[in-house]
Amino acid sequence: MSLLSNTGVLLGKELRTEFRSRELLTTTVIFILMVVVLFSFTFDPTSTDSRRFGAGLLWLAFLFAASLMLQPCFLREQTNDTLSALRLAVSDPFAILLAKLAANTLFLLVTELLMLPVFSVLYNVPVLPVLGRLLLVFFLGSLGVSIAGTALSAISAQARMRELLLPLLLLPLLTPVLVASTQVTAGLLDVAPFMQWKGIGFVATFDVVFLTALWLFGEYLLEE
Amino acid sequence: MKNLNSVFAAYLMAWAIFFVYYVTVARRAAALREDLERLKKSMTHPVDASAAANRGK
Amino acid sequence: MKKQSAGAAIVVVLLAIAAYAAFFIAPTDSKQGVIYRIIFLHVPCAETGLVAFFVCFVANVAYVLKRNAKWDWLGVSAAEVGLVFTTACLVTGPIWAKPVWGIWWTWDARLTSTAVLWLLYVSYLMLRSLLEEPERRALLSALFGIFAFIDVPLVFGSIRWWRTQHPQPVIMGGPGSGLDPTMLRVLLFCWVPMLALMVLLMHSRYRLEAMRGDLELVRREAEAA
Repeated sequence: MSLLSNTGVLLGKELRTEFRSRELLTTTVIFILMVVVLFSFTFDPTSTDSRRFGAGLLWLAFLFAASLMLQPCFLREQTNDTLSALRLAVSDPFAILLAKLAANTLFLLVTELLMLPVFSVLYNVPVLPVLGRLLLVFFLGSLGVSIAGTALSAISAQARMRELLLPLLLLPLLTPVLVASTQVTAGLLDVAPFMQWKGIGFVATFDVVFLTALWLFGEYLLEE
Repeated sequence: MKNLNSVFAAYLMAWAIFFVYYVTVARRAAALREDLERLKKSMTHPVDASAAANRGK
Repeated sequence: MKKQSAGAAIVVVLLAIAAYAAFFIAPTDSKQGVIYRIIFLHVPCAETGLVAFFVCFVANVAYVLKRNAKWDWLGVSAAEVGLVFTTACLVTGPIWAKPVWGIWWTWDARLTSTAVLWLLYVSYLMLRSLLEEPERRALLSALFGIFAFIDVPLVFGSIRWWRTQHPQPVIMGGPGSGLDPTMLRVLLFCWVPMLALMVLLMHSRYRLEAMRGDLELVRREAEAA
């Protein structure tokens, strides 16, 4: 219970910090919007092609946005030197990581849900009939991105050229999430939508494996 | 034999990659060994260094 | 030094024997002709790369738990050597694909996964180059190395599944699938010199890293004096 209650308190702190300024959410949404609009120049966005390329476009946009959005995750703590205070405040350092990854998942999901209707309108791809299943793949995919991203943000915050380093570390690591989520999303955006549970299985496995790794090795990430 | 050149090219390129890496590591090791010797000498014979400085005065 | 030269000589002899076996002992493939003989180089390179990355993973875990610099030295040596073998695999793959399929790259599942593996370990080395303090560098790169290695089966699995959805030309069926028993024996034999080469390269790289560690210590002593 102590882990959950500590996580809850820290999650509240993360959410309050963000919703006070809403800087992160606003810039991330605008970034994804820019990517979605610019992508339309790279192929002829007819409905058929949009269904073919739309899933890839969406997930690439989410990944690029995430690699920018995750930068301040630990940088904020470093700048204000609050990490040691956080570590003293909780008995289990995993609570800090859990709170951050929960907050990051939530922020990512919010931006994805805000972008979905825009994408649907701009590219003529109906999403309402498959909304529930899309939400499932968005949630699992965003969770995977946040788990890996939170861990790597803790690593890159301590290195030089951290703004370039985080995407460099994150993008190859997230290959399974990109491949599987794109496939599942492509199936759902098809003319005859279908669900690919094997793909969901891959993303869910990624989430479980990396969450376990974070639980096992997370305390070393927060060492000073 | 058709494509024999491609097979030779593949073998030569792979062996070249291993060889270049091996030689690069060996060179870096030799340079580092020299640095290490120089540093150790300067620590064990600091008298020589200060004597040389005094002769200059 | 003498041991090193003797080791290198043994590896060269083994590589020569493997090449002889690949060209003269293994029978010619009825479908692909002589080009398939690249398999005796391409597959052992890929598998040796994976072995090296596994050694890196073990070293990374050992460093995180024990904090002995020797594990860090082994980790970086294994990662670099693994990357060398993976590069050789990625170079020989297209040389094989071009005459058979007419294109250099087919997004074949195994080759694509190997490319991602290559990117992962390049990132590992990049991370190390951007961390200056030796203990920080050792710990943080070890942690990234652990995440990278546990990602490997997921990368291979997900890309293989992706390729079943969109079948593409496969450069080779897979080790053992449709291979003549003699071919299989030669393939297994060709792995031995690759593993020996891996040990040789890792050993020399490890010694380089150990010397760096010594140099750092001596420099610190000199500054303290």
